[in-house]
Amino acid sequence: MVEMELKRDRIVIRLGTKKWEWVLEPRYWRNTLIWVVVLFLFPTVSYFVSPGLINTMISANIYAAIAMPLALLTIGTGRMNFGPQFYIGVGGYTAALLSIAYGWGPLLTLPFAILMCIVAALIFSPLVLMARGLYYVLLTLLLPLVFLEVTFIYPDIFKGDTGLFGIVPLLDTGNAKNNFLFIGYLSTVIMFAYLWIINKVLKSRYGLLMAAINDDEDVAHSIGINISKIKIIAFVSACTMIGIIGWFYAHYFSSFAGITYLPLTFMLKILLVLMIGGRAQVFGCVLGGYFIAFLEMLMIRFMGPIQPVLFPIILLVLLFVLPEGLFGLYRKRRYREYLPTIHVRR
Amino acid sequence: MVPLLKVSNLVKRFGGIVAVNDVSFEIYKGETLGFIGPNGAGKSTVVNCLTGYLPATAGKVEMNGVDISHMKPHERTHMGLARTYQIPRPFPELTALTSVLASSISGKKRINQSFQDAMYDATHYLEFVGLFSKRNILARDLTFYELRMLELARALATTPQLIFIDEVMAGLNPGEAKSAVHMIRRAKEEFGITVFWIEHVMAVLMEAADRIVAINYGAKLAEGTPEEVVNNDEVVEAYLGRGWREYA
Amino acid sequence: MLTYVENVVVYTFLMGSIYLLIALGFSLICGVLRIFHLGYAYIFPLTVYGTWMLMTTLDWPLIPSILGMVVIQFIVAALIYKGMIKKYLNTEDVLLTALLLIALIVEQAANYFYPIQAGVFLDTTLMSGVFQLGGVVVPKQLVVGSGIALAMTGAFVIFFVKTKTGMAIRALSQDIYSSKIVGINVETLYVFTMMIVLVPVIIGTLIVAPVWALEPQMGWLYMVTAILIAVLGGLGNIKGTIMASYLIGLAHAVSCFVISEPRFMNLSALIVVMIFLIIRPQGLARSESLW
Repeated sequence: MVEMELKRDRIVIRLGTKKWEWVLEPRYWRNTLIWVVVLFLFPTVSYFVSPGLINTMISANIYAAIAMPLALLTIGTGRMNFGPQFYIGVGGYTAALLSIAYGWGPLLTLPFAILMCIVAALIFSPLVLMARGLYYVLLTLLLPLVFLEVTFIYPDIFKGDTGLFGIVPLLDTGNAKNNFLFIGYLSTVIMFAYLWIINKVLKSRYGLLMAAINDDEDVAHSIGINISKIKIIAFVSACTMIGIIGWFYAHYFSSFAGITYLPLTFMLKILLVLMIGGRAQVFGCVLGGYFIAFLEMLMIRFMGPIQPVLFPIILLVLLFVLPEGLFGLYRKRRYREYLPTIHVRR
Repeated sequence: MVPLLKVSNLVKRFGGIVAVNDVSFEIYKGETLGFIGPNGAGKSTVVNCLTGYLPATAGKVEMNGVDISHMKPHERTHMGLARTYQIPRPFPELTALTSVLASSISGKKRINQSFQDAMYDATHYLEFVGLFSKRNILARDLTFYELRMLELARALATTPQLIFIDEVMAGLNPGEAKSAVHMIRRAKEEFGITVFWIEHVMAVLMEAADRIVAINYGAKLAEGTPEEVVNNDEVVEAYLGRGWREYA
Repeated sequence: MLTYVENVVVYTFLMGSIYLLIALGFSLICGVLRIFHLGYAYIFPLTVYGTWMLMTTLDWPLIPSILGMVVIQFIVAALIYKGMIKKYLNTEDVLLTALLLIALIVEQAANYFYPIQAGVFLDTTLMSGVFQLGGVVVPKQLVVGSGIALAMTGAFVIFFVKTKTGMAIRALSQDIYSSKIVGINVETLYVFTMMIVLVPVIIGTLIVAPVWALEPQMGWLYMVTAILIAVLGGLGNIKGTIMASYLIGLAHAVSCFVISEPRFMNLSALIVVMIFLIIRPQGLARSESLW
């Protein structure tokens, strides 16, 4: 039985023996509301001004929506994962293969994509517990490359060279511009949903337990935190969230090729969204996503073929110049705010 | 009377070195058991084995009759064991309040406790050890005495039945040392916990302990009231050397 | 049946020796500097395309181009150390991202200036032609390359065991603070290590340049193999790296000749490494030191 009480400034939810309180703090809502309104008005405005911008906005939302679960993964497991795009591959290929083989629409392939991601994450979850430091970096780095090779080795199933075509599209209203508009809103909704969920988790008791585990694992063990459970749950949920984006890519472009998402170049872009936006800050991922998507679009439009060379150089310079990331320009880190120490070498 | 903690034939080997050699003792509810021995005797190793940090090579540990020898550290904490560390190990990036908060949330399976309720609970423990004014200071900016008190608050917030205190006097000046002993006694009275106290400073244990166990080279030397153990020949020999009578 | 065994044995030796050159650098950087140099992949395209650039734009003949490229590589390595590694040694996530970015920049620059259609070719053939070894056909270049690889590894081992600088580097790899206390100049030795590990890698790349394909993306493939060998052998241990490179060479040879599926090469190597890590998580080497 779920009971909800509404007290003067908080909502209390009781489920069995567990109790959650959500304190409503209206004075912190102003900036967030402004951003939400701006982002929701943007597709409509650009629908009339320049519909191509909606495309960039969809890219920006999706970059942010991949970087946020990566931040949760990093804080939850305490290690840098250099291969989140493996789960984009899993989700995308599941959706693509099911859609092509049985002609299923996006709503039918979604539960199966989620299921395959959960299974894949559970298979690789002992890696999080057993592999230490550099071995974890290595194995997560290599998994997507191995997946890419598998798609080339079995070309009749995965069509590694050309990619899979003919997937049922996400929305079809008949008009391409209207399609863009609705998919733009869908991507914004997905991004905000991820933002809300991950922010709530990181500010709740689970975020605190993850912070304690990151700081000192043995002490956390001795005060009663079940480390394996928290790490595995963080890993599986973050990877599933990333896999849903793979599903989105497959149905949005109506085609899916591993070579676009699995190599290191795509991973670097996502990693840079995380780093430049503000290291492991959830709101920074949104800023980083928009910045990188629009920078890429502007550079391709105005600089042409030299873009792949200059783009990483600019990002490298930004990485050095902004120690707290873009979000750090907006708000300096306060003394008691938690910034995770992510251990790679240990 | 069923002992609170019963240790039977505990052995811990590191490769060829036997750090803990067939140690057995019992702790009864409500008493303060002192644990002494010269440097390198294996005291911290015994505590590490009992709290689950290191797996014991052989032996049995029972708590209230339940065999906990193979339980992981967090399960032992849920059963009621807590510990402090010889060199304080705070959570460096968390404030004092959030450190005790983490402990309060995860110490035992709590019913009807939301995040805010746990925060009130943690504040209560912080105020008990006297750190309420420092609750928003990052743990790595606290002084040494405050770190020890934070360790104590963190251990108490898990509402243990038995707390292992590892050399709380080391590094404290006499005024702070007196406060620390007083704090432990208050904790014992107010929360009704049993204390297992490893200590080098004998004056403290003579006063505070009900019984003392002495070990050397991993093996138990003597067990009994403080007067008995302090006057035991083998214990004195372990500290002073074999030919101490010639120089006495 | 006998041809299978012969092929596997001969090619294990050849490929293992060439891989040894490539992986030794990665393993040493891991062992001494204790960082995972994810930007290692930049060395390969920089070698090839740097030489080609000097040859075509400045019209230098082959040997001076190679020497010029070596100088450029040393300067780049020193810059990377001073600019990135020293600054970000404590924030490891930023460091690894920055190193990966360097590899990406070099690859994209190579792709922009000399795309795969530009027909880059380095004539560093030391001995052309093939010869018959029993039932096996081997390119002579690879045989000479294996000889050079073994000689190079021997030189490194002698350097680390017998000379004073080598011993200082070995001490450095075990404990930084103790090394500083006894007076070892840590900074200079770090830069020196980063430069000295370039030598076997450059030689290895130049040897295989006429035999195997040259493209801007070549760095990633070699880096993957180098990572696998380093991890299998125990990061930073020369004995382990030697054993591991022949093991990976064996895996590649088996998947090429016995299973006859060259596309399985990387996958088989990864499976071998994962199995070993499950059995023995520290890798093959028994000790934590360089030798």
